[in-house]
Amino acid sequence: MNNTMPKSWNEATKPHLLCPGCGHGIALKHLGLAIDQLGIARKTTLGIDIGCSLLLWNFFNMDTIQTHHGRTTSVMVGYKLAKPNRIALAYMGDGGAYAIGLQYLLHAAYRNNPITAIVVNNENYAMTGGQMSPTTPTGMVTATSPHGKDAKFGEGLHGPELIKNIANEQAYIARASVNNPNNLQQVLQHAIETQQSGNFSFVEILSICPTNWRTNAKESFANVRKAEDIYPLGEVK
Amino acid sequence: MTSMKILLAGEGGQGIQTIAKVISDSAAKAGYNVSYIPSFGVEQRGTPSVGFIILSREPIFYPRFDLTDYAVILSQRSAEAISIYVSPRTKVIFDSSTVDPKSFPRTFTHLFGTPATKYAIEKFHPRSFNVIITGKLSQILGLAEKDVWAMIEKTLGAKFKDEKVRKANEDAFIFGRNLVFETGKFSDASFVPSTEKIVVKGYNKKGEILPSRCKGCGICIEKCPVKALKYGDILGVFATPVPDVDLEKCIACGNCRRFCPDSAINIEKDIKQEG
Repeated sequence: MNNTMPKSWNEATKPHLLCPGCGHGIALKHLGLAIDQLGIARKTTLGIDIGCSLLLWNFFNMDTIQTHHGRTTSVMVGYKLAKPNRIALAYMGDGGAYAIGLQYLLHAAYRNNPITAIVVNNENYAMTGGQMSPTTPTGMVTATSPHGKDAKFGEGLHGPELIKNIANEQAYIARASVNNPNNLQQVLQHAIETQQSGNFSFVEILSICPTNWRTNAKESFANVRKAEDIYPLGEVK
Repeated sequence: MTSMKILLAGEGGQGIQTIAKVISDSAAKAGYNVSYIPSFGVEQRGTPSVGFIILSREPIFYPRFDLTDYAVILSQRSAEAISIYVSPRTKVIFDSSTVDPKSFPRTFTHLFGTPATKYAIEKFHPRSFNVIITGKLSQILGLAEKDVWAMIEKTLGAKFKDEKVRKANEDAFIFGRNLVFETGKFSDASFVPSTEKIVVKGYNKKGEILPSRCKGCGICIEKCPVKALKYGDILGVFATPVPDVDLEKCIACGNCRRFCPDSAINIEKDIKQEG
């Protein structure tokens, strides 16, 4: 009767390995729903990165590839070149995609490779214990910024706005939030459709990290609403 | 005894490493040589988490050990994970409200049970069961009550959001110090996570909640626009309470299904009941 989970999720591996209240769960649910909606589960390959996203190795009923430090983008670009009929998704955290592996993302966008890069931005390096990352906004307390992030370390890297400058005219770049899941699903669906039409697409998802933010459900969503002021939602290109 | 080897095992997130840290720090303050190494998987929550501690009056040359003097077991599956460290002489301390001693391997002979989770839920704060265990363990090891409590306050102080929580934990700690172990006859392991699906029906709505997936994050409760959800009595996979739905208030908006990161809940309109 009821379907609590998307059909593309692998039921045997649930409960998943992510923390209670993890934003990945919400993001992946709507990625799963988008895949179900488009009916592409059988021809999609998911690339995952180092960081919390590596815990998804058996999350979906789909082929999964894992690499390190943002190279997920490059691996999926190569995969797509070899198998042009498949849908290639590169699912990364902000640490992997922006801090360590930005070059791969930039060049994939510059070459307009037909893949979909999805970056989950939770404003810290979550798996290693919540250290300050480029996307940490000014004043946020993390393990390595106990007095709040100093503005001299940057006020938060705006990935989509950065990549917009070099991306192709036809590319689709957008930012969504786990606080607005209906919109998130539409954005992901549009991103995959852009890939099917042969262009690069890139979605940043503002996420929550209750374990490292040390917040309860209410405070987590208050935090992500604050992040939405710094990182405006919507289509960037 | 000049040297004591202690092994703490449980689920990640239960507070194993916090107990280990409090015990190690207090023992170091009491003049012991201490070594403590944590061991856990890449996940921050939900996998077996183990702490190896040695307290000694002599210098410690190597922090790992083959067989332990005390094994503290706080979850069912961690018993299996640490069984190679347990000899017939090991004193096995376990939470009898969540761990079933019948499932232990044969080498587990000296069993000391205490239904800490049951006590914590019934008498104190649901999350204070690890404080009860810390209390009992520190009493066995002969560490002074005052010093250990000071160390708990120092380590956990920020988590005690108000005076009520702090007091509940202090009471739990003192209660733990004075606990008498169950030997031979143990409490039922009744506080185990529920695996059955909860099906709710009525007021033209139907729904299901899956405790085997619910991690008790509270996002559905926060996102419910009509406050129809609240924590109930059934326990989920991490021994946290599962939400309880008030179908009379529920408007079947689907927010809980949308937001649940673990896909553990769904409530929708039931057309059959209307017609």
